[in-house]
Amino acid sequence: MSRWTKFLVAVLLGSIIGLFYGWVVNPVEYVDIAPESLRVDYRTDYVLMVAEAYQVDKDMGLAVRRLALLGSSTPTDLVANALNYAFQHDYASQDLSLFQALGEALLTWNPNMEVPTP
Amino acid sequence: MRADRRGSWYLLTGAILGLVVGLFYSWVVSPVKYVDAPPYALRADFKNNYRVLVAAAYLYSNDLVRAEDRLAQLRDDDPAQSLAMQAQQALAAGRPEAEVRALGLLAIALGEGFTPPASSTAHSQEAIILTPGAENTTTPPGVIGTPANTILPSSTATPTPAEGASFVVGETRLACNPAQPVPLIQVEILDAAQNPVPGLELVVTWEGGEDHFFTGLKPELGLGYADFNMTPGVVYSLHLEGGEQEVDDLSAAECQAEDGSRYWGSWRLTFIQP
Repeated sequence: MSRWTKFLVAVLLGSIIGLFYGWVVNPVEYVDIAPESLRVDYRTDYVLMVAEAYQVDKDMGLAVRRLALLGSSTPTDLVANALNYAFQHDYASQDLSLFQALGEALLTWNPNMEVPTP
Repeated sequence: MRADRRGSWYLLTGAILGLVVGLFYSWVVSPVKYVDAPPYALRADFKNNYRVLVAAAYLYSNDLVRAEDRLAQLRDDDPAQSLAMQAQQALAAGRPEAEVRALGLLAIALGEGFTPPASSTAHSQEAIILTPGAENTTTPPGVIGTPANTILPSSTATPTPAEGASFVVGETRLACNPAQPVPLIQVEILDAAQNPVPGLELVVTWEGGEDHFFTGLKPELGLGYADFNMTPGVVYSLHLEGGEQEVDDLSAAECQAEDGSRYWGSWRLTFIQP
């Protein structure tokens, strides 16, 4: 085996060790993630909480601001996705109604009518 | 011969080079992506938002088990304590009252394992209590304070017993406790059945200042308990949010120990629902 071949084998082994260390032993830890990185069931529950809170405060502006933390999708898409997931995973009918109520309220919501919060 | 004298260092060089490339690739170019992260990995401010949302959702559902499950995802050592602390921080930071109240109510519910009355919730509408329609005249036997003695409670149905106007000052006294040398305004609020009432907002004012505090945020001292640290030399007034009756002229007063030494006492006020 030539010297160059051995050198390349060493580089390869080092790379493998480096990748193993970086991906398995000590991977990058995202301890400060945003809600948009939550797993889909947690995202769905997050939307459900927004829907529950909306039933109390009836503040659509606040609901939209809360939904905005889940990423750049539109609030109606976020609620629709959550409703889909909830429907597929047999959420209680009461919870499905909450998703629907929030979704319907979003459709009729006019942000221009919002009174700005100081 | 000359090449042999270079030894095998090139292998180590290659391995180190490969290691650096591997680490660069795994940490920078293509790091592990947490696309399915759990709530406990959220940034601290997002965790605070999450707690507020859990508390707000709890106000709707009154489902303590569900709220506990949700909070468990944040892996706080003591969820009730975290909520209570956040409620106090939110209060100090001037966050919306609804947020403070929601956090406080859930903290209380978790601390005691029961569901306190929560106003403006869809499910708490069942807990309607009629306040007496008769005019109430009270004369608090307090040592200090000149509260207005006549109140006119509403004769209509109210969603909760937490109406400030329906409570009157029942007692005001200086409590001397050497183990509690910091001057406090200690408030205990009881409903008509003598049960402590959590989640009520108290407003304390002084010249050039105002602060708000809530009952129930120290459940270990009672659900109807709240306290406020006084600064010696400052004169305070206290009333329940929405209440008509105000207790004035509250200031730090001294107590005397048996050995003659002096320490700060605390004003103990009781608000009761007639």
